[in-house]
Formats: sequence, structure tokens, C-alpha cells
Amino acid sequence: MRARIIVAAVLVGAALAVVASTASGGTTATNSITVWLQVDAQAPNWEPIVKAANAAFQKDHPGVAVNVQYQTWGNHLQKFDAALAGGNAPDVIEMGNTEMTKYMAAGAFQDLTSERASFPNSSSWLEGLAASGRFGGKLYGVPYYAGSRVVTYRTDLFKKAGLKVPTSLAELTAAAKKLARQNGDQKGFSPIYIAGTDWYVAMSFVADYGGSIAKQVSGKWKGTLASPKSIAGLTAYKNFFQAVSRASKTTDETRPNPYDVYAQGQAGSMIGPGWFSCCVGDKYKGLTAQFVMPSKTKGQPMPGFLGGSDLAVPVGASKALAVDWIKAYTSTASMTALRGIGNIPNTTSLLGNSVNERAAKRSWFVPTAKNWVNVENGNILRNMLAQILTGRLTVKQAAQSASDNITSVLNS
Amino acid sequence: MSSVSAAPHRSRSRRRGRRWAWDLLGIALFVVMVFPVFWMISTAFKPDDEINGLTPTWISTAPTLDHFRDAINRPYFWDTVQNTLIIVLVSVAASIALAFVAAVALAKYRFTGRKVFIVLMIGILMLPPAGLIIPIYVVLARYGLTNTLTGVILTYLTFTLPFAVWTLRGFILGIPKELEEAAMVDGSSRLGAFVRILLPLVAPGLVATSVFAFITAWNEYIFASVILTDQANHTTTVWLSYFLGTSRNVDWGALMAASTLTAIPVIVFFLLVQRRIAFGLTSGAVRG
Amino acid sequence: MRRRRPLSLQSVARASVPYLLVAPVVVVIGAILGYPLYRLVALSFQTYGLPELIQRKGEWIGIDNYRSVLGDSVFWDVLVRTIVFTVANVALTMVLGTLIALLLVQLSAPVRVLLTAGLVLVWAMPAVVAVQVWLWMTNFQNGVLNHVLTELHVGDYFQHDWYASPFSQLAMVTLLIVWAAIPFVTVTVYAGLSQVPRELIEAAQIDGASPLRVFRDVTLPTLKPILLILTSLSIIWDFGVFAQPYLLIGASHVDASNYLMGVYIYIEGYAHSDYGRGAAISLLMLLMVAALSVPYVRRMVRMEDTP
Repeated sequence: MRARIIVAAVLVGAALAVVASTASGGTTATNSITVWLQVDAQAPNWEPIVKAANAAFQKDHPGVAVNVQYQTWGNHLQKFDAALAGGNAPDVIEMGNTEMTKYMAAGAFQDLTSERASFPNSSSWLEGLAASGRFGGKLYGVPYYAGSRVVTYRTDLFKKAGLKVPTSLAELTAAAKKLARQNGDQKGFSPIYIAGTDWYVAMSFVADYGGSIAKQVSGKWKGTLASPKSIAGLTAYKNFFQAVSRASKTTDETRPNPYDVYAQGQAGSMIGPGWFSCCVGDKYKGLTAQFVMPSKTKGQPMPGFLGGSDLAVPVGASKALAVDWIKAYTSTASMTALRGIGNIPNTTSLLGNSVNERAAKRSWFVPTAKNWVNVENGNILRNMLAQILTGRLTVKQAAQSASDNITSVLNS
Repeated sequence: MSSVSAAPHRSRSRRRGRRWAWDLLGIALFVVMVFPVFWMISTAFKPDDEINGLTPTWISTAPTLDHFRDAINRPYFWDTVQNTLIIVLVSVAASIALAFVAAVALAKYRFTGRKVFIVLMIGILMLPPAGLIIPIYVVLARYGLTNTLTGVILTYLTFTLPFAVWTLRGFILGIPKELEEAAMVDGSSRLGAFVRILLPLVAPGLVATSVFAFITAWNEYIFASVILTDQANHTTTVWLSYFLGTSRNVDWGALMAASTLTAIPVIVFFLLVQRRIAFGLTSGAVRG
Repeated sequence: MRRRRPLSLQSVARASVPYLLVAPVVVVIGAILGYPLYRLVALSFQTYGLPELIQRKGEWIGIDNYRSVLGDSVFWDVLVRTIVFTVANVALTMVLGTLIALLLVQLSAPVRVLLTAGLVLVWAMPAVVAVQVWLWMTNFQNGVLNHVLTELHVGDYFQHDWYASPFSQLAMVTLLIVWAAIPFVTVTVYAGLSQVPRELIEAAQIDGASPLRVFRDVTLPTLKPILLILTSLSIIWDFGVFAQPYLLIGASHVDASNYLMGVYIYIEGYAHSDYGRGAAISLLMLLMVAALSVPYVRRMVRMEDTP
């Protein structure tokens, strides 16, 4: 019996040893760097840009391997936390611009201020994006790429209703109402599909009316959604939504995806990132175009949420190599290629005149508080919008409650 | 005396009539329970416009294999399958081997600390895994086992061993003493008797434990995704999450096709052992 | 005269056998869980957020984390909600699972094989995949569920949002969890039913007992141990469930109104990077589940004392 146990134990041990030797281990060699990019960059039209950057880097550093590991947005921060705790964080990491502040405040990144001037195009970095990489007067993140929000619309439906591209919010609302009348027989049709709790659109209205989410007053954060201007913006959003969208009042902008609704022919247009035009289905691909979301002030774009990513160097990484890789990946050539696949480049010198880029001219951003991520995780803004749109609370009540909530979370 | 032969002809046909009603209910239940699985497989064959269509299509009128092609061509598909099979098979084998040996000790020997040990086993089952993610990662980092299949296997063992020990102990306790004593009369050692009598009787229990280890290893996501950073080392659940983890559009057809493909080995495994499982889970417990 | 057994090498070796047998399990679990368990307890008494994680140094604050958690009304709401949720899930799973097992006995062979195969298919589907399929079926825009309910004239469910209220959200989660858990219960109970002595059932039937009486007096006592095992395991698993509610309700929808314990720990502790607090909540949850299962655990530990 004992013999059998020994044999069994040996077999298990051998199996584990085989597994250990065949599985690749983490990179501990000093002649390689690890880069964490999001899986967006693994798309067939994006990956070549990454590979080109690797090649350029390796020309200057022969013998240094580049290990690019693609991450998902769902849990990359948790993996980053674990890696920081375990002492094997990557050398370069892509962070969402709204995720930066928390990690900068916690001291997760190395100071890049002294290298600033050596980054390509750093004198003309897109300010809306570059701001997210700065904290306490120091530079921690290099702007990578941005995206803004535009209106993607059905040219055939607009033509049938005799509509031109609207240049003010009032014109847009009137156009939507006309579309609603024309397509009234189609159950569930939205002239403009907006998900109820799409806070990116709602906060654009707030910004347009001069309001904001929160402001820093002598070191402490104060929620400002209950200010008269913010409330005017929220009320305008409520009225707009009720007139133009048949989407669920409580769901978010991924359930369902607006472009799926559009592809089903259930939307005359939709507000979202520029890349939405990829997925409108074969039927409407040729009948789709985009325009900039207009402000209530005629001729101006409504401030759009400038989404995007930064590249940072975590503590414990090989700084010189990491910086060189970032330089290769954010070179003018690289940025031009990124722009070519529909992104907004990180420098105004390469900005063109596409709808996406014109929309980025007026933008707003989330409060740069280290606890902002908790506001997003707690879905405070989404709940506020759901309460407003379903009528469970008045605009004033919902805004006040959300504002108080935000104040306490940002200061905790 | 069996009552069947004494039953008059009338009640036999009544029983048959009732059976039709039960069968109908059984079929209806089958349809309801299996519907989501059917939906997944059906969607995998639909072209994109049918998937997004406003009215759902039950069975595609123009089935396509494109999604399956897309799924297989996604980066690291075959690597992922290989990794998962390695992890699952080694986890299952190690769980059975280690837990059986420990369960024998707990059931057959009165040594100090055995009660504490068994309570600890069930205690570990009650721990919320979320709390342990980062500490376990830190431990694995110290051993140099992050981003390795071995690290993942060892982590899974800590979940499956307590359940396995707990269950197998119950089985072994359920074996009648007479059988043991009969074997000892032969003159074989106590341990020798256990193995010769025990193993065949506990075999169903071992199958049950291996099923549990299999499900755990196959289904687990959080630890695998945090421990394994290189896509070449990923397991199928982590690989599937990449379909959804992009901030761009989701390819539903490919996701359903990928899910269908990854479910096949599991279904095969279960069909092979399902009769043994049921017997195994209950034969020990009933006597206990 | 009593002869004392000499303390020989052989007897020492014999006495050490159980420890050797248990050693591998102890080593594996100890090597992986030992330090984390210690860490979990230690963290619960410290302030340990992201800055502390990066610097690898926390600050001892005694029982402040526990005090803050126990004083938070959200914690108690979540606890009550999770208990209600667990009771509902376990009850539904056990009742439906047992009923289907009883049904299996009554079926003709081909239908029985069909239904069992169906249950195996359900069992084999990974949770992550099942959630995606569920989302797809219940989606607002073109979900099958809405379509079927409207077609069957149960009501107008055109573009009904199944995730609009906490009750509706948790109902969807319950549906998913119960659906996925039924096969395990059914197969186990079915096998247990085959252990029930046929003679007793037929004797009771000859005596004229109704099916319900037969079930209660003959079947149930034999099934009791199995039902106990399944119920306690279900309680442990359903109380701490995380993946299904988090993924089904969605990261953008989980909040204080629909938290379950598993999700609450994840958000409060790990999404907020407040590891000290997360550890405190984890340990409190462990205590609660332990308290709920004491009767069963005691019975299992004492099992070896029965002849």
C-alpha cells in the first residue's frame, strides 16, 4: 500500500514537473520588456502598427525582445493590482484616461517629466488627452490615442424627410421629430438612438449648458450636478431623450449595442464613437454618414467626451527601455497610421478634418480625482439618469442626491 | 411478492396511459431546459444579419460555418485548448490521488488533529475566493509560478482538494466493516485489505470527485485570468472573455461558435461518466 | 501479567502512517493558501489601499474596518438580500431538482435518456458562456424571451427591459443559477431514488397508501442524507455566488440596490482597491456561512462515531 502511495506521489510530482517545464514562465530576463496593450490593438488593422513599433524599437535595441500581452478592459486593472503586489508589473501599460488619476495618486508610475521633451510631438500634444497623464505637476502618462462622439445617421431617411445636417440642437430636435412622424408606423423606432443611462451623452448636455460634475474647492471636491446650470443641462437631456429615443430608460449603451439597433433598421441615427460606422450591417453600409453633434449654440459642436488611452511606465520597470518603446509607438509614423484606422492622434499637428476630429475640438473630461473610478464603479451617474428618465425623482432631487453621493465618494 | 403479476389488465393499461402523460411532461421539460444550449448552437450557425434581426430566427435558413472559421482562426485557439486540457487533466488526477490518500487516513485512523483537519476542509470551501486573488498571486510570484500552468493547477487544487477529501471520507466511512474484516482474515495487512476492497467500492466516489474537479478547472475564470498573462498560456474561459473584452464591437456569432466548440469536450466527458457519477455520489452517502 | 507492547520502530512507523497520508494535501493547501489566509486576517486589521499595495506596507488600525463595515447600512441590506436570495435559490433548486428526479422514474426509457442527455448538456455549459446566452435571450431589443412571451399572448413584452428593477435583475440571476444547478441535484437524487428499497414502496402501495404518503414515509427518509449534502453545498455556493450576478446584471448596473455578498466583496474591496475592508467583509461572510452550516458540519464530523 505504501509503495502504491509513493508511486502515486511520484507520478503526480512528475506530471507537475513536466507541466512546469513545458509551460512558459513569466519574463524575468533583463533582455526583454513586457508591454500591456488592450485587445483593441490586436485587431487585424491595428496589430501591424504595434509590430512596426516593435521593429523600430529593436533596431535601436537589438537583442531586447518585446513581449506584448493584450488585456481586456474588464479586468486589466485587477491584473495590474495583482502584478504590482507581486512585483512583476509590466514595463509599459496602456491605461484608459479615466483610470489614470487613481494610479498616479497612488504612486504606481514612474516620473517621466525629465523625458517629456524627447517624446515625439510633445510640444503639440492634444491637451484634452495629455491632461490625463499629469498629476501634481509631474508627467506620468504619454497620450496614446483619443476618440470622441459623433452622430452616425441614415442618409436615406434624412433625404426622404428633406433634412439637412443640423447645426444646432434645436435643428437636430426638429429633425428627429420629423423622422418620428415619417417612421411612426415602425414600432420601437428611435429617430436618434440613445441608451437611457448613457452618461457620456447626458454629461455633454450638462457641459454644453455650462455645468459640470464636480469641482475642487481648496483641496476638497464638491459635486456640482445640482447647480442651476447643471440642472438646466440635465433637463435639456431629459426633454431631448423623451423626444428622440425609444431605448430603454434604464439600460446602458452596450445592452444592446446602438449599432445593432441601427443595423436592424430601428434607428434613424445614433450618438456614439466614430468607429460605430463599422458595424451597421451590409444593408445600411452605403446609406450611412456622420456629423458632429451640434451644441445649443448654433454653429458650435456640443462638447463631447474625449475618451482615450495613455501609456505609462509602472514602478519597478526598466525605465529607459520602456521610454524608448513608447517613443517608437507614438512616433509620427505610428500616429499617422493610428489616425488612418479611425483614431484621433495624440498631436494637433496631425489633426485632420474628419467628423471625429472636428468633434474633438470642444470636449469635457471627468473630474481628475483619485476616487473618480469609484463613482463610475458605483454607477452613481447612471442611477441618477435612470431615476430622472423614469420619473421616479425630479431632475432636482436626483441631481442633488447624486451630487451629495459624489462629494462623499470623491472625498473618502 | 411483487404486485405487478397480480395486477389486473385494466390497471396495467392505466399505467401505460399515465406514462404517456409523464413522457409528454418529460419532453416539454427537455425543451425548456435545453433551450439556451440550443440557442447557443443555433446562433453559431446563423449569418450576422439573422443574429441581429429584429425577430428571432429559430433555425437559420442560410446556415454558415463562417463563425466557426473565425473562432478557430482567432489567435491562440489551439494553444488555449491544449492548455485547458493539461490543466484539467492534471488537476483531476492530482485531486484524486492526494485526496484519496488523505481520506483513507481520516476515515480509518484515529490520529490527533483529524477532527480539526476535517473542519478546516469544509472551512476552506466557505472562503470567498474574491478575497484571495491578490494574496495567492503574491505567493505564486514568490515561487516564480505566475503565468505558468503549474501555478493555476496548484491554485485549483486548493479549491478541489477540500471537497474531494470531504466527499471521499464520507464514502470510505460508508463501507461496511464486515467486508474489511473478511479481507483481514486472509492474513493481508490492514492497509492491503483496504486497498483491495476499498478501491473498487470507492471507484464511483472517485468518479464523482473527478467530475467536480473537472467542472471547477474547466469553468474557472478569475484566477486563470489574473495568473496567466501571456495569451499563449490562457485557458478557454479566459480566451472566450477576449471576445467580450474589447471596447469595440462584439462578434456574437464567433462567440457562440467558440462557446459551442469549447463545450464539446466537456459534453463528451460527461456522457462517458454520467452514469457512474450518480451511483458514486449516493452509494456512500445513503449508508452514512 | 500484562505484556506491554514495546515501543518499536515498527509501531512508530505505523503511527506515523496517517500523518504521511495526509501530508500531501496539507503541503499543497498550506503552500498556496497558508500565507494568503494569514494575509487575509492581517489585512482586515489594516488600512490597505492602492498606495499601500504599491509600497507593500499597510497601517494597523485595529478593528476599524470591522466597525466601519458593521456600521454601514449597505452591509446589512446586502446581508438580508443575500439570505433571501440564497433561500429562494436553494429552495427552488432542491424542489425542482427533486421533482424532476421523481419524474425521471416515471418516464419510459427513451424519454428518460433524452431528458438525462439534456441535463448533461446544461451541466456542461460553462457559467461564463451561459451568462452570455442568457443576456442574448433576454435582451431588450430583440431577445427571444420577449418575442415568445408576446407571441404566446402572455402580454405585451415588446422591448421589455428585464433588468430595469433590482427585483427583476435578481429574478433573472435566480433563473440562471437554478437552471444551471438543477442537473446536479436531479442526477444525484435520481441515483438516490434507485437506492430506495423496492419492496418497501410496493408494500406501501399494496396497503393503499397514496403516492404522497409513500414519498413521505418511505422515500424521503432514505433520501435524507443526500438531500442534506446537496442542500448544505447549495447554501455555501449560492451565498457566495459572484460571476453570474456580476456578469448578468452587468458592471454598469451593479450597485447598492442589487448587491449580493459575492459582488459586494468584489466591488467594495477590490474594485475600490480597499483591500483591508474587503478582507474584513470576507471574514465576516465566512463566519456567517459557517454559522449557517454548523448543524450539518457537526453531523458529518460525527459520522465516523457511528458503528
